[in-house]
Amino acid sequence: MTSTEFHLFNYGSYPYIPHASDLPNSAYIDLPNKYFDPIHGKHSLATYLDTLVFGEELGFDGIHSTTQIGGPVGITPSANIVASYLAAKTSRIKIGTLGPIMNAATSPMRVAEDIALLDQLSGGRLIVGLPMGHGQNYHAIGTANPATARERYWEGHDLMRKAFTHPGPFEWVGKHYHVPYANLWPKPIQEPFPEIWIPAAGSRITLEKAAEFGYVYQGLFVPRKALARNIATFRESTEKWGYTAKDSQIALVLFIHVAETDEQARREAEPHLLSLFQNINRSPQHDAFPPGHFSVDSLRAALTGGGYRDRDISKLSYEEIEETGWSIVGSPETVREKLEETISTLGVGKIIHVADMGSMPNWMIRKSLTLMAEQVIPHFRDPGGLPMWAKTELPAATHTAFGAYAAEHRPLVPAQVDMPGVGIVDTQRAHIEELRIPLTREQKDGEV
Amino acid sequence: MPKPTDNLAERDWAHWTEPAFVDIEGVNTAYRRKGSGEPLLFLHGAGMTRTWLPLFEELSKSFDVIVPEHPGYGDTELPSWVENMDDFVLHYDALLRELDIENPHLVGHSLGGWMAANQAIFYPTRFRSLTLLAPMGLMVPEAPLADPFRLSPQTGLEMLFSGVGEHYLEYLQQGDPVENQLHSYEESITLALLAWNPRYDYRLNHRLGRVHIPATVVAFADDRFVPRRHAELYAEYLPQGHLEILEGVRGEPASHVAIVQQPVELAALIAKATHR
Repeated sequence: MTSTEFHLFNYGSYPYIPHASDLPNSAYIDLPNKYFDPIHGKHSLATYLDTLVFGEELGFDGIHSTTQIGGPVGITPSANIVASYLAAKTSRIKIGTLGPIMNAATSPMRVAEDIALLDQLSGGRLIVGLPMGHGQNYHAIGTANPATARERYWEGHDLMRKAFTHPGPFEWVGKHYHVPYANLWPKPIQEPFPEIWIPAAGSRITLEKAAEFGYVYQGLFVPRKALARNIATFRESTEKWGYTAKDSQIALVLFIHVAETDEQARREAEPHLLSLFQNINRSPQHDAFPPGHFSVDSLRAALTGGGYRDRDISKLSYEEIEETGWSIVGSPETVREKLEETISTLGVGKIIHVADMGSMPNWMIRKSLTLMAEQVIPHFRDPGGLPMWAKTELPAATHTAFGAYAAEHRPLVPAQVDMPGVGIVDTQRAHIEELRIPLTREQKDGEV
Repeated sequence: MPKPTDNLAERDWAHWTEPAFVDIEGVNTAYRRKGSGEPLLFLHGAGMTRTWLPLFEELSKSFDVIVPEHPGYGDTELPSWVENMDDFVLHYDALLRELDIENPHLVGHSLGGWMAANQAIFYPTRFRSLTLLAPMGLMVPEAPLADPFRLSPQTGLEMLFSGVGEHYLEYLQQGDPVENQLHSYEESITLALLAWNPRYDYRLNHRLGRVHIPATVVAFADDRFVPRRHAELYAEYLPQGHLEILEGVRGEPASHVAIVQQPVELAALIAKATHR
């Protein structure tokens, strides 16, 4: 078995809400915010952030945040802001923003700029997810029309990709965006742009696009049978583009909980997992699929063929959640066995481990993650158990590394100032009398 | 929209009649036409397509009734270039010229009322009269529309029929339930194009001042989707606007889809409106 990556991803939900059976709709869009107590909210957020930051010490390959808008599903309306925090609190682990919702931005350039900034802030550790955004989010965003969301999203993607890969400025002339001066400042450290993950519930168009651009396909929560079909579609699509997807190009989201014994693990996980399905993941069709968010054909498949939502997931029993492959819960041995079976059957190279199940207390998440890190993950790693990031050097992490780089690569031109009575000089030397010397034409142009 | 596999002749649901098709500037447009007298163009609301409603039958006793299905509705395709209300204005201008219909009466219900208002704004001298039935389209901060995009089948039935939807299921059940659901979803994409956000056009307030033809606006007394205030304001903004309130009859409220509850009463009201 090749080395598998383990990524940590939590919901960061606000759990103190009425049971779904007492709500007229889903908890996504119009649950009154009187239920949000700012201090309890702060505590939920602290748990969420703490367990993610802990991921570096545990030896996960990456830690990830998502954008959730207008409800208790996640109290992180900006994945980017969370990623910024995680970047500051950690030093080596990959940071994923999974991610910005392009259609919520007025211009894709703003998304590209934030991605570039985050990659700078994290020292080149960024992973970027480009979700369309849950259907529910389109109700909350309001201004983004689901009827045109897909085509607007892909035009935004194309513009952003060009901004990463082509010299700026250039003019973008598109149906949804006209950007006279597309000029990306800053640029990301990772060239030409960070690794991109595309979350997909099963839309063929999305899978094909991810294959076309060589992005990681992030399999969203779907029953195992549908997932296997999606992965097959993705692999076939990559072949159309002249390559075969490696396992590392396929990521699988799983609810995982580890405890001392199988029985104990179920005792701990069951209430939280069921609560998550009943209250948080649950969403009626009209909330989950606003008009156009899914193509008619994708919706037909979802409604008929054992796809994404051919039944109400809030009605799933604990056993069904496990049998359909959404969750792996057990002792370290059991989790190892089931993971091994999942990984080898589906051919996935990245596991996205959801640990908090929406409402688990901090200590329980930490206990499960510690068992996971010490007794499960090493089994799937090369000898030594190192995460991916521990095998490579960070770019420009220290003054010495920067100095070594600067000795080899000068900026194109010096920083310049017109000092009265002297002329245009190099600002970096201008504070020293004898070095305050007018720059030659060649020096100004960066040719010396 | 008709798929290659769709066999129109096999459809047998209530009120189904086979439409005629006409090419309108590249859009294969389904329409139904019946009756004689002065022409009357009826622009339907955001559903109940693929039918010849009893209201149309009533109207056809006095008018040459033309009921096209909007692009993206019923059996009319949604071309890729359709984006907003302007495209519908142009489409119906072309349709009237293609079918050689001069100076019709113009009637619109709900979404079709919004379209009809725009048609009259852009062609202020073309129509003999304008009748708007529970029209959408106005910005009314004190009484906004109900949200048409978050309706489960049950809540939709409850709201649109003001609680008596169970009596009118025949207007909603069309063939295979899943395909029917997908058809409704497809139509809702067109509605979203026009009205996801905002669900109104604030420019109508000013623009309706251009429409000097006789205009009647009918509020349905117990409409839970379009509050009565919308009809009142339409009648106020239209220089010759006249407000009518349709009350419930036979122990039923007058819902947003009173067009199927009160075909005879409404046909009489429309006939009166065309000759004010």
